[in-house]
Amino acid sequence: MRRNQGCNPLEHGMARRQFLTGTMAGAAGTGILGTYAQADQLKHQEKRILQVFLQGGVSQLESWDPKPGTVHGGPFQAIPTSVPGIHISELLPHIAQRMHLLSIVRSINIKINDHEQGRQFMEKGRRVGDFPYVGAVASKYLAAPNSDLPGYVHVSSRGLSDVAGGAAFLGAQHGQLKLEGIKPPGNLTAPAGINASADAGRDQLRLQFNQRFTKRRSKALTEAYDASYDQATRLMGRKAMFEGKASKQDLERYGTHDFGRYCLLARSLLENGAACVKVTHHGYDSHAENFNFHLEQLGEFDKPFCMLLDDLKTRGLLESTLVVIYSEFGRTPKVNVRYGRDHWGTAWSIALGGCGIQPGAVIGSTNDTGTEVADREVDAGHLFHTYLQAVGLDSTAEHDLPGRSIPIGDPATESIKELLA
Amino acid sequence: MLKYRVNSFTGKLPTIPSDLPRPMDLRHSTKTVSVAIIVMVCSTASSVAETPLHKWIDMTVGVGSVGFENVAADDAGDAAFARRLYLDLTGTIPGAEQARQFLSDRSSDKRAKLIDRLVTSPQYARRMQYAFDTMLMERRPGKHIKSDEWQNYLRQSFAQNKPWDQLVTEMLTADGADEKTRPAARFLLDREMKTDAMTRDLGRIFLGRDLQCAQCHDHPNIEDYLQRHYHGLSAFLNRSYLFTDPKSKQASIGEKAEGAVKFTSVFTSESDETAPRLLDLPPIEDPPATKEPYTIKPDKKVRSVPAYSRRLQLAAAMTDSANVAFRRNIANRLWAMMMGRGIVEPLDMWHAANPPSHPALLDLLADALADHNYDLRYLLRELALTKTYQQSSQYKSEVKNIGNDHFAVALMKPLSPEQLAWSMMRATALTDATLKDLKAKHLATDADNAATQIQDPLWQEEALHNALKGHVDTFAGLFGVVGIQTSRFDASANQALFLRNGTALQSWITSDGGRLNSRLNILQTPELIDEFYFSMFSRPPGTEEIQFVRLFLEQHADDREAAIRQLVWAALSSAEFRFNH
Repeated sequence: MRRNQGCNPLEHGMARRQFLTGTMAGAAGTGILGTYAQADQLKHQEKRILQVFLQGGVSQLESWDPKPGTVHGGPFQAIPTSVPGIHISELLPHIAQRMHLLSIVRSINIKINDHEQGRQFMEKGRRVGDFPYVGAVASKYLAAPNSDLPGYVHVSSRGLSDVAGGAAFLGAQHGQLKLEGIKPPGNLTAPAGINASADAGRDQLRLQFNQRFTKRRSKALTEAYDASYDQATRLMGRKAMFEGKASKQDLERYGTHDFGRYCLLARSLLENGAACVKVTHHGYDSHAENFNFHLEQLGEFDKPFCMLLDDLKTRGLLESTLVVIYSEFGRTPKVNVRYGRDHWGTAWSIALGGCGIQPGAVIGSTNDTGTEVADREVDAGHLFHTYLQAVGLDSTAEHDLPGRSIPIGDPATESIKELLA
Repeated sequence: MLKYRVNSFTGKLPTIPSDLPRPMDLRHSTKTVSVAIIVMVCSTASSVAETPLHKWIDMTVGVGSVGFENVAADDAGDAAFARRLYLDLTGTIPGAEQARQFLSDRSSDKRAKLIDRLVTSPQYARRMQYAFDTMLMERRPGKHIKSDEWQNYLRQSFAQNKPWDQLVTEMLTADGADEKTRPAARFLLDREMKTDAMTRDLGRIFLGRDLQCAQCHDHPNIEDYLQRHYHGLSAFLNRSYLFTDPKSKQASIGEKAEGAVKFTSVFTSESDETAPRLLDLPPIEDPPATKEPYTIKPDKKVRSVPAYSRRLQLAAAMTDSANVAFRRNIANRLWAMMMGRGIVEPLDMWHAANPPSHPALLDLLADALADHNYDLRYLLRELALTKTYQQSSQYKSEVKNIGNDHFAVALMKPLSPEQLAWSMMRATALTDATLKDLKAKHLATDADNAATQIQDPLWQEEALHNALKGHVDTFAGLFGVVGIQTSRFDASANQALFLRNGTALQSWITSDGGRLNSRLNILQTPELIDEFYFSMFSRPPGTEEIQFVRLFLEQHADDREAAIRQLVWAALSSAEFRFNH
């Protein structure tokens, strides 16, 4: 009975329900305003990160590191990909055709089998302590100063609590703006009875009060406060982006279920200047019926993700966008009595590509039965350095804060250099 | 009797703390010498007379900063002082009437009288409950101990003015098994008894030192944080564990009789072993092993209790006078609460490369606090009486930017989420209107003493708190940070969107019965402007401001009520409202 510890039983039921209802819920509109012109401007300016988080822990054996025909291999086959010599699970046929855009790290050992601790380590690159998430670091160092959107946006159907939005000491403006699926952020509409001109009028009044108050006072605090209103104004101006309708063509390609809509939203967020967009696909915690679950889940994930990847590529954004597909851990090679696989931080995989990443590579390996890392063992600390260096940040530098300086990446680890382009 | 005896610290002031090497830069050494001279002069001049602590503080702050008098800000004035004090000691701005009354009071000691009144009010205990809850639990959600019970415990402690060393002793010795002392166990229990979390937070919150990086190796950047400091602290706690009673499912603290703390540097592979010890104080060795190491033996069904508990040595070692870091930490935190910045800043980063800006001042505060049996109310009162606290947050016109660590100008403090919520509710008169309703409702019940009760300040405070707590929680969720607290100001778009478009504020600025807007709507322009400024900013309007608001109202004469709503919203959203200045 111990193996279910730490898992929310609801989570297991939810995923299947979501899968079933996803198509029906898909009638509501999502917002896509991204135009080629905007994308064109962006690609020369900035770098950004797309994180696709497969929540619950995707099985490496049913995805990036299949071992068909071995003792723990499970029923699914491995298929060849667009990169000669690289095989992945047959559950990812669309990704297999695009393998030349991505790379795989097959030798992760985080020594953690707990959802929350694993997730924290994967986000922060540190096992303990209040450190900012990758997304918050991206927001701090990659976001354009006057971007309409907050630097770090997370699209997810459920509220996993992120302390301070993952910003830690970097400050609230770098914490994630959490979007509940394609629902626009709260309080985006001016109250009833306040039209645009009244809204502008009262904001003007606010500024007039401030003008008098800031005389002969330090400006740092009042400017930060003003900036939050400016950002609110810009977000309100982007209401249409959150509420707009997806085109028929996009819906056909991405699908009308939730994850497809999230990917479409992620595309427009990236095109509109977000420095890091995280999309969470829930429901990989398959302690029972691992194989059915992965068939459903990866079936939902594979195509929309590839449509997003294609769009980033054709719009010229992929070379400036780091794309990471990750979980908090993998799943046990050993199949339990309920045809499930349990938590497994010991030997598992992620995939990544785009900006700064050598495409079509496989880093490290596990042994024949997948029970341990055979070669080039890495952990989340190495990955954290690698992500940041891929987007051109020096992860060995320090955050410069009043009264203290803190190494950006864990000084005890380093990037996976052979993976960097 | 709230005086400070000169004699008791004449010998202490100039000494350099032995536990911390400190760079002897010119500024500090000058300061130390000068203070020593003042001390000598004063003690010879009046060997019997007592000089109150607040005067010593003011003398010490400016000493050693060249030309301090030239840059030091003027007095804040009565209105700014009252707003600041109400916020710091009661957690909300004063009501318009309270502000007016204070301004019209002609007595020369009215500031001291206000301080005395506020530190003994029920609102003081609530404000300290919020502040210390945030400091100690850092807004983590209640897990094994209900937040309400813990907060009530804190509030009662501050209402009784429980000494800090006693409060800390209670928190570090309660094991959660005794219902009476159970809430005090929250500091440890809600950290899940995880040794790393407890060790780090003991260091940060009670000693002012973040030893986290010293967990796996001596700190790479900070020379005085050593691995043995971290592990010496963790050795008090690593035998203790979270015990969940199989029947009641209630969590409490159990402890084993064995378990040593060994540590190895991940950099140098050097190993060492340590008994419990606080920083560089001597280790506390275990007594010789007894025949029976347990009072209650370990078993799945019971909480084990050892004959000798390492955990129970912690409180005494922590609060022992030899542990200078303990009193300096709390003195620094109270100073920061009142002045907007620690003498050591960040509050949990005291080390050689980040020394106190005013070492003699910090020792003065720490020693005075210890000599007064850790009476927090005494120190807060003395701080409020200083010129340093009562100076303006505006520079003298000819002075440009001056470093925050000089305390020559009052620093702006962002309102805490609770201060912001209560202040907005008070400014819009939601508080007054609610209290009126609550009184009427209570009178309508047949309670025996209803008529007397509704006049009782404590009844009023508790009734209001219960009625409006939901709003406070909303603000805490949106404006609060879970995790390490800093004095840095943060503002996010979410917060601004809430203030602009959220339903809470919008409903408070309607003209429903008893609200500020209903009052303003029926006033003539001059009275309206006066009431508006006192309600929002706790001060009378200046001449230009009267002109400005009059003009705005004239321009929007077609819909005066809408214009008033806009004014009130803009004032609530302004920087003058958002900060304690």
